[in-house]
Amino acid sequence: MPDEPVSTLSDVTRTYGGVPVLDSISLAIDPGVTAVIGPNGSGKSTLLRLLVGATAPTTGEVRHPGATGPKPIGYLPQRVPFRDGFTARETLAFYARLVGDDPDAALEQVGLADAGDRRVEALSGGMRRLLGIAQAVLGDPTLVALDEPASGLDPGMRERAFRAAAERADRDTAVVISSHALDLVDDHADRVVLLRRGGVAAAGPVGRLLDDHAVDDVSGLYRAVTAAEARTGAERSDEEGGDGDGDTGSDEEGGDGDGDTGSDEEERDGDDAEPDVHVTGVSER
Amino acid sequence: MTGPLIGVATVFRRELATVVRTPGYGVLAVGLLAAVGGLLAAGGGGATGFVPAIVDLLLPTEALVPLAAVVLGYRSLLADGASGELAVIRTYPVRVGEYVAGVLLARTVALVGVVGAPYAAVGVGVWLTAAPDTGIFATHTGIDSPLLYLRFLAFVLLLGAAYVSLAAAVSALAANRRSAIALGVLALVAGVLGGDLLLLRSLGAGASPATIPGSLALTPNGAFRGLVFEHVIGVAFAPEGEFIATGRAVGSLVGWTLLGAVVAGTALAYGSQVDAAIERVRSGIGD
Repeated sequence: MPDEPVSTLSDVTRTYGGVPVLDSISLAIDPGVTAVIGPNGSGKSTLLRLLVGATAPTTGEVRHPGATGPKPIGYLPQRVPFRDGFTARETLAFYARLVGDDPDAALEQVGLADAGDRRVEALSGGMRRLLGIAQAVLGDPTLVALDEPASGLDPGMRERAFRAAAERADRDTAVVISSHALDLVDDHADRVVLLRRGGVAAAGPVGRLLDDHAVDDVSGLYRAVTAAEARTGAERSDEEGGDGDGDTGSDEEGGDGDGDTGSDEEERDGDDAEPDVHVTGVSER
Repeated sequence: MTGPLIGVATVFRRELATVVRTPGYGVLAVGLLAAVGGLLAAGGGGATGFVPAIVDLLLPTEALVPLAAVVLGYRSLLADGASGELAVIRTYPVRVGEYVAGVLLARTVALVGVVGAPYAAVGVGVWLTAAPDTGIFATHTGIDSPLLYLRFLAFVLLLGAAYVSLAAAVSALAANRRSAIALGVLALVAGVLGGDLLLLRSLGAGASPATIPGSLALTPNGAFRGLVFEHVIGVAFAPEGEFIATGRAVGSLVGWTLLGAVVAGTALAYGSQVDAAIERVRSGIGD
């Protein structure tokens, strides 16, 4: 499958209560590590949920032309969901049995071999995330989606979690990671998708995006894109300020599919209303 | 084991382990034993024989067993959905039907422990303590027998299985624990009282009493009561005429069990599509 993307999203919109969280997103997920970054509430988790089928799109289509095998998709939600009362080994054994995999080898791969007999509720937050990563890669899926695998972890554990995830990516396997850890994105990601206010503000190979925006790293890219978007939004608000009826539709605004009025944006995505408050590289947890 | 069986068996093992490791279910079983034993002691039927004991237990059983079954089932499918683990499980090659079957089978086995064991213990108590002799295995009507109690126990478990399945359906439809409790209570009240009230209403509206055996079988409690009268109490007292259509009553209890499973499976399989369809309507209205 050299030229075929593992997954595609075509004009995908997802609303909650009629308010769009993601708006007309089109993406192709290729093999390698793709990092999804963006401010809190920009739709990263929703994007990953759409990608793995946990949430159905309101409109648009999600396809997986390159995701194959008995378990084509692996998924780690933002909140690691395993049941209390089971040990780490028992938890992985449940999933491993469904795909004929070896739970002990999976524990070994993420460095949790010594913690196999500890109950899930007795594991630290970092160990639970590593256990979640071990679960997600069981059965050798071709698409692995990890929602904030480094969230709330100390520096060493963050690096370990990210590396464990990134090591899965090869010429057939796509690993999609949502994260605020931009330093780790710098180190491990092949491509970046930068979400802002429910739209794709920038997407592509890391090197190309850095060149396009004349920045040195992903943190610089994040600042450059979010600042440019904020300026565009402010100018648009100024232009529309007088008529009092700004909801004319994004297409007419000539934007990138993310061009609703400011008031709508604030209603659907309160966290994004104050982009300057967000500190890059700091988890929302 | 291959294919679907692996999925069902794997989910079954995990679910049964969860039940076994939840102390509350042990407390529920002990509480049920105390309630059933206490009711029997208060009623005095247990000192006389199995059929008098069953007569004492019949009415409370129609409330206690559905209650225990709803407690066993009301969170069975909600737990994984609410924690987000169901989204993870669905990335594995296990279909919704296999998942629901595994959970329901485990909860039904748990029902045998939580409900069946207390009732069995009470039955053993009656056998050991009742006078006159209850050790006769009846082959003729009019004689008390442990076999009649075994039949009663089988009907109790059939009733419980129907309510476990309906409670699981409720848990699949509920958005959170609070709504699961509310829906569970609603299902319980509707199941325990609703059928009888509807029957009374239809009789009041002029329906023929001859329709009672058929109508009674349609609700889980009516079917259970009819089966107990027909095949347990009626055997001992040689009644005139039939209390209920047996095939219809058994079919009703099995049907309610299957209905719960189908509703639960459908809710899990199509829940996100329904949610997206609702969102489409909302977005359309908003435009």
